[in-house]
Amino acid sequence: MNKRVLALLMTGVMLAGVLTGCGGSSAGSNQSASNTEASADGEVTLKVFSNLPDRKNGQGLVEQMIIDDYMAENPNVKIEVEALDEEAYKTKFKAYAMDGMPDVVSIWGQPSFLDEVLDAGVLAELNEDDYKDYGFIAGSLEGFKKDGKLYGLPRNTDVQLIYYNQKMFDDNGWSVPTTYDELLKLVGDIKAAGIAPIAMDGGDGWPMATFLTDIMVKVAGTDYAKSVSDSVAAGNFDTPEFKQSVEVLKQLVDAGAFQTGYDAQDYGTAMNLFTNGQAAMFAMGSWECSMAKNEDIPEDIRTNIRAFTFPVIVGGKGGANDIAAWNGGGYAVAADSAVKDEAIKFLNYMYQPDKLSKYGWENGVGMSAQDQTSYLTGDETELQLSVMDMVKNATSVSGTPINDCGPATFKTVMESEIQGVSNGSESIDDFIKAIGEACK
Amino acid sequence: MNEKRKKGSIGKILLWAILIIMAVIQIFPLIWLVDFSLCSSNEMFTSGLLVIPERIRWDNYVIAFRDGNVMHYLLNSIIINVLAVIIVIFISMMAAFACTRMHWKLRSFVMTLMLLGMMIPIHATLLPNYKIYNYFHITDTIWALLIPYVAFSLPQALFLMTGFLASIPKELEEAAVIDGCGVYRVVFQVIMPLLKPSISTVAIMTFLNNWNEFMMASTYLSTPKWKTLPFSVLEFTGQYSSNYAVQFAVMALSAAPAVIVYIVLNKHITKGVAMGAVKG
Repeated sequence: MNKRVLALLMTGVMLAGVLTGCGGSSAGSNQSASNTEASADGEVTLKVFSNLPDRKNGQGLVEQMIIDDYMAENPNVKIEVEALDEEAYKTKFKAYAMDGMPDVVSIWGQPSFLDEVLDAGVLAELNEDDYKDYGFIAGSLEGFKKDGKLYGLPRNTDVQLIYYNQKMFDDNGWSVPTTYDELLKLVGDIKAAGIAPIAMDGGDGWPMATFLTDIMVKVAGTDYAKSVSDSVAAGNFDTPEFKQSVEVLKQLVDAGAFQTGYDAQDYGTAMNLFTNGQAAMFAMGSWECSMAKNEDIPEDIRTNIRAFTFPVIVGGKGGANDIAAWNGGGYAVAADSAVKDEAIKFLNYMYQPDKLSKYGWENGVGMSAQDQTSYLTGDETELQLSVMDMVKNATSVSGTPINDCGPATFKTVMESEIQGVSNGSESIDDFIKAIGEACK
Repeated sequence: MNEKRKKGSIGKILLWAILIIMAVIQIFPLIWLVDFSLCSSNEMFTSGLLVIPERIRWDNYVIAFRDGNVMHYLLNSIIINVLAVIIVIFISMMAAFACTRMHWKLRSFVMTLMLLGMMIPIHATLLPNYKIYNYFHITDTIWALLIPYVAFSLPQALFLMTGFLASIPKELEEAAVIDGCGVYRVVFQVIMPLLKPSISTVAIMTFLNNWNEFMMASTYLSTPKWKTLPFSVLEFTGQYSSNYAVQFAVMALSAAPAVIVYIVLNKHITKGVAMGAVKG
């Protein structure tokens, strides 16, 4: 008796499951069909997958402005944006790589991200000749190529900088260091004055890796990119130039260059030490130039922010105008997009010089990867202009920062172990060995 | 006599002191959350545990509501979580009854199979599930969240239910059957009221487990239609740095329902866990 009732019940439950499953599936398939395919009356829906969840500020706002412009100019096109922050974005990107990649996606033109993606063949090839007139900075497309074919376009130019507080420097009679030895001395002076010399986001790992990139550019000069890619290929970072760079980083930490507890503090904490006047300098990329326009920062600090790149190291091959700069983030089109032509049209629209470049510049989100000189509005901050000059006067540009030069595991290991080697819990040799292993 | 009382009172003071300290530690994160949600992003980084804001910024909450899609996501969260809780209770109660009280050949096998689910890490299922859902075209629908939420809460719920069910005397059911009850009336009219503490425990656990879940939601959903509350926090995450104050406001808003649910069901939960544990 019991058995029979139970069997009946189970059948009922299973049947219910099957029915609901079917119901869901038919509804779902209708939806997805209408999303990806152009319907009869010329309506097109473009799906954009973005790594900029905040659509009201900064780069996310710029992206949304362009999307709104495009929809206004092309009433038959509807653009749906899905945005996740970096970690969640990369996880979901893997899921999409298996099935159903959205039409236009954010990508990073760095081997740690792009190699796997291109091997999976999910991105559409772009015609490089189409972009001759777009004013891309020389070499900025290289990171987005594989075997000479172009798969994406860069969004920004990022420069590794050390921001400093001009007023604080003047008041204390400090000057911008031109050599590494001067920097070490400056660190001592600032420390003696009871202020944290350099605010460093050591909790995240990557800011220290980009900082190390700047050091290595000064050590190895134009050999930086080749040295790193050789090391990655061989799985061996035991090169004199890399070792010296790590030693310089370690020396700086030992001299007390970073704030106390830097290895546990995050981006916001480090930045706020600087913007509250508790630190004299702040090591970060050029995207933070918008600090000079941020009303939340006290005015006597905001208007006095200036920047320099890592000073020359005696005996190093890099000069003052060899800078650590790269074109990281960008956009690409999915290879199996049902509306590929429209997607490429939208991509090209974004890169029209008066879109990403102009809007980005006006909103102070940093420099684009294209020529921006015709968009100077006249009310640029001194900080913005000085950083633009750095790029203009650069004798060489490093390309991809060191943590993004290898496979994904290399990136993870590098960013976690760099904390250990800087605070002394791991020896330099162990560090070199560990990141070498991670390349294999 | 007097000494005894003295001893007792010292012990009581000590007990009270410890309990108060524990309570403060427990409640502090909530106070901290509310405090930070009312100050500006910059004030947050001044040293000191709690910040006294220059002026109380209710506008953080206004921004959260306006730009964070809070109402829509809150509604989604409530629908999905309430459904998940109901389904989990329904299935786990019937399964527990079937596996402990009914006699059939595969009952211990089925029970083990369902409990085995406890050992599967959620993240390992992320990509395969995505592929399966895509095949059935249920990504971006409510099912994409309901199915895993129910599946991952079920083993624990079943475990608690069976433990509790064992403590209910069989004679009650026998009496009910003699009075002419069928299996369903036994389960829903005799057993269910007795299982109340265990049902509220399961409800609270399922609810708290799934309320803040983000990893699966971010993978299986792509349009705002069914997005849940944790996505609101994301709306204020910039590329490099975020609007922390508003994020705190959103988090305070999303913590509130969980706290309310806990307070409402709290009476029953301790009872439920303890009884299930001993008689398991």
